[in-house]
Amino acid sequence: MTVSLAVPDVLVARAQAGDEAALEALYRAFETPVYNLARRMLRRPEDAEDVLQETFLEVVRNIKQYRGEGHLWGWVRRIASTKALMRIRRDQLRATESLDDEPGGRAMHVGANLDLERAFEVLSETSRAVVWLHDVEGYTHEEIAEQMGRSVSFSKSQLARAHARLRRMLNEDVGGATL
Amino acid sequence: MMHCTMEDLGALRAGEGSVWARRHIITCAICQAELEALYQRVAQLKALPTLRPPRDRWPAVRAVMNSERARRRRSRSAWGGTLAAAALLAGVLLVQPSILGQSGNLHAELTQAKQQSATLEDSLQHYDVDGRVLSGHCAAVVAELEDRISDIDGTLATLTQRNVGEQDAELVKLWRQRVGLMRELVTARATRARYVGL
Repeated sequence: MTVSLAVPDVLVARAQAGDEAALEALYRAFETPVYNLARRMLRRPEDAEDVLQETFLEVVRNIKQYRGEGHLWGWVRRIASTKALMRIRRDQLRATESLDDEPGGRAMHVGANLDLERAFEVLSETSRAVVWLHDVEGYTHEEIAEQMGRSVSFSKSQLARAHARLRRMLNEDVGGATL
Repeated sequence: MMHCTMEDLGALRAGEGSVWARRHIITCAICQAELEALYQRVAQLKALPTLRPPRDRWPAVRAVMNSERARRRRSRSAWGGTLAAAALLAGVLLVQPSILGQSGNLHAELTQAKQQSATLEDSLQHYDVDGRVLSGHCAAVVAELEDRISDIDGTLATLTQRNVGEQDAELVKLWRQRVGLMRELVTARATRARYVGL
């Protein structure tokens, strides 16, 4: 998702002073991109809603620490992606889900004609997170690895495997190669 | 014939392909098509529709924000109230020691209520009040309880201006009310903690 949200400096200054109306204006400006990011990374809509709430609680608590270095959306997005990744990690710890396990995938026949959005939903949350952060949000593998507490090669291999899986699910025939 | 793996294609897309992959892609129509498909897939991902939150979460964020502000105010006023109560007690001890003897029971009750209140404050710390996400309803309940506790703390702080003889009974009553509200607050926090399984 490409976001170009210009937030007036005066609005940020008011929010930093604790003005509730300004804080709500920031929420209204970023609620959809934050939710979209979290929803694309997480399988359950209610988890994405919780990430939205957690993100803005942190924004409200720490807006004074935002120094105007870079776009505000970049700062908010970083908080949101960190919250979503923390949730993925916590759920994995609780469910002892293997990083390679893709729960929705078992019911899905490889080769079924799915559209990309449905195929993307089938990926594990870890794969979804890596694909979305890298391919859509433009994060580097180094940034993803840092946020996930993993290695760069982990991020790269997750991305490659996710694309290979998407390709199989979409039943793409581009010349007979098997990747 | 050996073809590029998806990792090779990803590296080529990022301009980081190996020497072999960069040479191979020039001559292999299959891998060229795979790379093109990868570009297309990423373009399609970027073009996916924006998903919008089904519910407005601002009321819940605002409720938590306001309850935190109220708690900070309460902490400040409670500290002021404690200082005022300490000053009052010192004054009573110096000026009218006989009153203490007449109201020994009230003092015992006051001490007990204060201890209970302190214990409940400690219990509250176990529920990570700053880090927890609350539902809008729960946050509103917590905010209301904290506001009421804050009001009581404010009243306790102003009691020093009253007649000393009337004050003990009033103090005991207020501290008992405070203990009751603290219990409700702890219950609200504890219920939420069990709900999220933490």
